[in-house]
Amino acid sequence: MSDEQFISIQNVSKHFGDVHAVDRVSIDIARGEFFSLLGPSGCGKTTLLRMLAGFEFPTAGEIFIDGQAMSTVAPNHRPVNMVFQSYAIFPHLNVSQNIGYSLRKDKLSKADFNSRVGEMLDLIKLSGYEDRASHELSGGERQRVALARALIRRPKVLLLDEPLGALDKQLREQMQLELRSLQRAVGITFVFVTHDQEEALTMSDRIAVMSKGRYLQIDTPTKLYEAPQNREVADFIGTMNFFDASVQDVGDGQASIDAGPLGKLSVSPGNLAFSSGQAALAAIRPEKISISSEKPSGGHVVEGTMDAAAYLGDRSHFYVRVPGVDKPVAVSAQNIDQTHLHGDGNQGQVWLSWSNDAVVLLNKD
Amino acid sequence: MSTHTSVTGPRFGPLGIYAITYLAFVYIPVMFLPMFSFNDSVFIAFPLKGFTLEWYRALATSDGLIDALYNSVKIAAVVAVLATALGTLAAKAVTRYKIPGRGPVITFIMTPLVIPGIIMGIALLVIVNMLGIEMSVYTIGLGHLLVSTPFSMLIMVSRLEGFDKNLEEASQDLGEGAWRTFWRVTFPLSVPGIIASLLLSFTISFDEFILAFFLGGQDITLPVYIWGQLRFPAKLPVILALGACILAVSFVLVTFAEWFRRRGVQIKTSSGV
Ligand SMILES: Nc1ncnc2c1ncn2[C@@H]1O[C@H](COP(=O)(O)OP(=O)(O)OP(=O)(O)O)[C@@H](O)[C@H]1O
Ligand SMILES: [Mg+2]
Repeated sequence: MSDEQFISIQNVSKHFGDVHAVDRVSIDIARGEFFSLLGPSGCGKTTLLRMLAGFEFPTAGEIFIDGQAMSTVAPNHRPVNMVFQSYAIFPHLNVSQNIGYSLRKDKLSKADFNSRVGEMLDLIKLSGYEDRASHELSGGERQRVALARALIRRPKVLLLDEPLGALDKQLREQMQLELRSLQRAVGITFVFVTHDQEEALTMSDRIAVMSKGRYLQIDTPTKLYEAPQNREVADFIGTMNFFDASVQDVGDGQASIDAGPLGKLSVSPGNLAFSSGQAALAAIRPEKISISSEKPSGGHVVEGTMDAAAYLGDRSHFYVRVPGVDKPVAVSAQNIDQTHLHGDGNQGQVWLSWSNDAVVLLNKD
Repeated sequence: MSTHTSVTGPRFGPLGIYAITYLAFVYIPVMFLPMFSFNDSVFIAFPLKGFTLEWYRALATSDGLIDALYNSVKIAAVVAVLATALGTLAAKAVTRYKIPGRGPVITFIMTPLVIPGIIMGIALLVIVNMLGIEMSVYTIGLGHLLVSTPFSMLIMVSRLEGFDKNLEEASQDLGEGAWRTFWRVTFPLSVPGIIASLLLSFTISFDEFILAFFLGGQDITLPVYIWGQLRFPAKLPVILALGACILAVSFVLVTFAEWFRRRGVQIKTSSGV
């Protein structure tokens, strides 16, 4: 089995009665990869993770881990460990008994046991916490104990179900960095579940964006952001402006489109197929649109009026009404030289401009 | 003075009077037991005569009573252990596994709770007779098992539902099979429930009269013995002495059970995520 297919989820479905929690999902995850499952609440992330751990069995399809079919393998015989969303720290055991829970079969001497647990405590920077009871730990400490407990036997795969969900923003950002560097240090394949797109973008090698039991796109964070394959992904990851467009001519890696109020544009269709005359969507990220109060020379330019502006310190968000477009166009700009646009309730005329390669062409629905 | 009134005030409100009346109603008759058991007279009447330990001496030397007590304790102990084991496993099954026909199964196990003891007694008597089984402490034990198991199951279901089932999954995830997981996680976390269940099943069996009376044959339990003795007025003070002893033991057991229950609640709240 190749390293590219270290975990291979092949056409897997899971139905609970009428609910199709996971619906014909196929994903290959490479050895050592930090892979995220991203999607809104109820889209089947936990269910997919639980099938990898062996707590649920697929209604259809097959899961392979390191070349081995998992359909008949019980959770306690799988080369994977899991960090639960609730952490599931054993309340009747102290920190070192929790971390060393899986070492029973090794029949270690007390000294060996302590040194194995000690190594993990060093790794998670909780040395000296050996005898703490679980209720004496903070949320972040519990999370780290759960991590150490899952890593102590060096599983081939670590599954993490929204492990940072219960932490406050600051601790969360710190743990994101720590988790990522830990993953690099131990070289274990991580499958990470989150519904926080920023978190997925910062941490992952690749992300599967899921919706209603299906996956919409699997790609690197940059690809997902720069070249989403459909409207749902574009909408879910970051903010996106959509404009109705019609395809006029499809040529060699280029498509000419008529984007109504934005005029005629020549854009790259990526790896999507379009035919002449087809209705499509032209999508542009807010930060790829330049805004100015004087008409720029050259490039694609449209005129609009300022609808609302939000000053965020380093950046500003502007909402600009463009004649012929229903929703105000969102524009995000670094506050290098934009203060004049904020003026006292500026309702004035502004110009928006962008370059051709900022435009992503998507299928309508 | 004013603080004093405000602290003790509620005692004299209508609710306070109700509470005192209630406690008096419950406990004064019970207190007659130890009181008359030390009274130097076979007649249960005021005024009290002198203090005596005679009835307790008689208690210690009456053969039938010792046998009956031994039967009762033996049955109650075995029933407590079996009912708790069955109740725990049944609770585990209904709370953790998606078993088909879960609803009917629960109803089936719980039904003995609401069947009147006399009906149950007659039904079991008919069956035991039909099968030609000789009546003894074993048949009593079976009857008691039937009525205690639902109580045990109720206690254990609430205990098992009280803790995160991810804990058991975490144990499996960390390499332990179903039995090891039970011993290393489920059991220790259920200990307060298990102790409560043991005490309750013991008490139910120890107290039970109708089934023991119907199903005992030659074997006699303590309640049946006491009932038999009530025909002899002269033995009444001895029974009172016995009642006083049982009261003392019950008091210790209940205090102990309550202490464990609270400890359990503490573990639960302190481990909540
Ligand atoms: N044991 C179950 N029985 C019935 N339905 C279930 C069960 N587990 C999950 N579901 C349903 O399957 C769907 C997917 O659930 P899942 O827990 O995988 O969502 P999720 O993506 O993890 O959501 P969240 O972000 O809220 O945790 C939901 O509609 C849920 O109600
Ligand atoms: Mg979930």
